[in-house]
Amino acid sequence: MSGTPYPKAQMHRIAYSRLSARDIESKLSKAWPDGPACHSQSSDVLAGKSISIITDEGLKLSYDFRSKNRLTVSENGGAAAAAGYGALTLDRLVVFTHLIPGTQRGYAVVVDQDAGLATVFELWFSGYQDNREVQREIYHGYVERTGRKPPEARHVASNRMEGHGYHWTQDNGIETLEFYPSAAYSHFVELTRFGGELGFSAPSDYIKIDTGFFIYTRTECEFSGIFTLYVIDLNLSEQAGFRLGVDANDALEYYMFRGKGEWLGQLAHFEKFGDVKGDVLPVPVENGKPPAKGARAVYRPLKTMDKMSRTEVDALVKRKTTFARTSEMAGNGDPPTDYLAGKRLTLRYDHAPAMEYRFDDSETMHWRKHGSTRWTKAPYIAWESMPGVIVFGHLLEGEPNHDGHSVVVDFHQGLVTCFNGYLNTPYFANEAGVRTLFGVIEMEGLIPPVYRRHQFSDDLVGRAITWEYSPGITSMHLYSTPHTTSWTIFTEAGAGGMEWSGIGAFVKIREGLYFAYWLEEACNGVLGTILINLHTMHDAGVSYKCNKDGLNMHPIGALGRHVGKFDIARYFEVKSSGRTA
Amino acid sequence: MSEGDLSTRRSFLKAGAVLSAPLAAMPGAAFASDGSTARLARFEDENAIRVLHEDWLRNINAKAANNKPLALFDAGASSSEDEIRSIAASLSGPPDKIKLGADGRSATGRFRCTIEIERPIAKNCTLAQMAYLQGGGFVRRIESRVLMVDYAKAGVSWSITRVKLVVAHV
Repeated sequence: MSGTPYPKAQMHRIAYSRLSARDIESKLSKAWPDGPACHSQSSDVLAGKSISIITDEGLKLSYDFRSKNRLTVSENGGAAAAAGYGALTLDRLVVFTHLIPGTQRGYAVVVDQDAGLATVFELWFSGYQDNREVQREIYHGYVERTGRKPPEARHVASNRMEGHGYHWTQDNGIETLEFYPSAAYSHFVELTRFGGELGFSAPSDYIKIDTGFFIYTRTECEFSGIFTLYVIDLNLSEQAGFRLGVDANDALEYYMFRGKGEWLGQLAHFEKFGDVKGDVLPVPVENGKPPAKGARAVYRPLKTMDKMSRTEVDALVKRKTTFARTSEMAGNGDPPTDYLAGKRLTLRYDHAPAMEYRFDDSETMHWRKHGSTRWTKAPYIAWESMPGVIVFGHLLEGEPNHDGHSVVVDFHQGLVTCFNGYLNTPYFANEAGVRTLFGVIEMEGLIPPVYRRHQFSDDLVGRAITWEYSPGITSMHLYSTPHTTSWTIFTEAGAGGMEWSGIGAFVKIREGLYFAYWLEEACNGVLGTILINLHTMHDAGVSYKCNKDGLNMHPIGALGRHVGKFDIARYFEVKSSGRTA
Repeated sequence: MSEGDLSTRRSFLKAGAVLSAPLAAMPGAAFASDGSTARLARFEDENAIRVLHEDWLRNINAKAANNKPLALFDAGASSSEDEIRSIAASLSGPPDKIKLGADGRSATGRFRCTIEIERPIAKNCTLAQMAYLQGGGFVRRIESRVLMVDYAKAGVSWSITRVKLVVAHV
């Protein structure tokens, strides 16, 4: 037992076991009779009642709640099945959930007791290649009331939660940061379960009950597949809901929770004024067939990325290495600079071999590692992001791990920081790894500091910036932890759509100038490096990646817009108690 | 326009609706002693071409609605990757022109329009992959064009023989 809050492997590195349908059924069979666990007192508001829920999609559920934790349910007039259930209330809302005995299915229902409206989530396992991923189908409807006309209103998908962020503390002590930067995905930082090092992204539903109450769901696709649902009271920052799924240790999680939140603010969003539509992503269809039950757009980068062995990488890099001067990721890039042309200097890193450079002109230079007598000619590209600060990138041909350097040199301070990308990493050889190197510039006429260095910084943590690289290629970064860069892609209507996240780091170069990277681990293996100028809201840098098309370095340059900032750095500070959360 | 002009035009249109095929089939000069028959035939031809053009626009946009790009030659295209997704008649600028050939068997049309152009983005980065997955992956823009259309008359019917888009010069 380490005693730290950190897992042996972060979520994207866990080798989740391939559970059979029988494995899952066996786990669920233990939860059918009793329903979900609940740390707080579960509600008896439904005990003794019988209700029928009619949905627009045709599903009818008839319930007899025998007690506060036992019910029978009939689906579409079928035989009644007895199951355990749990219920929690939040103001006038009731959320209850149960499984269907003998199956891998269950339901979650949110009922507005005043309006008589109900939203039903049918849930099931073994509906995707990975059986553990919980599937969901949403039905909108109402509670049948004898002698009363059915209500016309419904709970509806909406983008009105977009941009919000919360710190949640559940009744079981679990703390999370949860951000809703998209109308179709969400981003969450597990402060308690995983120590809060990284944030992750998951497909989500946002359903409006009314202005003050929403239903939120997420399914941890590409990870454990666990499903979370809760209703939120936006005014009181309270939540009530449940989790269902199989965790990394193959234990069934099926419990209800209450939570208290702290609203962290809201990022701007970019739909036209008046557009409050939810369900912003088209449901995927195959061969023109109607969408399958539960179908939704899900980004599955681990499944689709190229995966290569070291032998394959070494052979490919010899055959196909490209240093590009243009890229769709740099359509809005500034023109390169010739600032370095004619200069000769040494970048002396504290914990890595010094690099000597002779810059022939604005595009070509020679480099050698300190101690070597052999110069290697290489193309490079450079930009002057702020007066006296140059970012440049180049590949290091001949290095055993096919390194690439993205370097920021500040000639007014004599300092250098390098993001050193490399291949032949442990999970997939073509997935980039990165080291951050700090040091000083040595050149004629320049006296570098002895002790001062650029520093990692939390200044960007919680900040969101849109980056428009080229027409049609725009994303919004959210720096959700000191080690995370997440990105959200916009729909044509400007709604936040798919989102994913990678490792990140942020180095302060000057006031308003930050050197940052994102590393697409278990995604496409790309290392993106950018020097962010918050004064000009422009960035410049290089991308380093290896896939079946070869090893490639190309420029990055985008126009930025500040979207907002959550005040969250405090959640990552190690307190005197030795804890963060 | 005078009241007299109005009634004349109305009667032409009314007659044209009923008699367009037989009249159009008649040699333009057969009853041209006072020129009115020739004018009638010309109006009917122009009207038939205008209707044909509107039908063509409706049909071609219906095809585009099925997510198929329009296979039209666009002299103003700035990239071979550009795909035309729709064409809309434009009411701004000079009026459309239909010019009948001297033989009465051919015609040309110039119709101002706007076209919606879609250019796919390359799938070579993570962002583009994600954009495609969510139904995007393209950049759309609207540009002005002039539709240059050639027509031929076979029997009593007009048909389109060539369509091309050219850049609209104001």
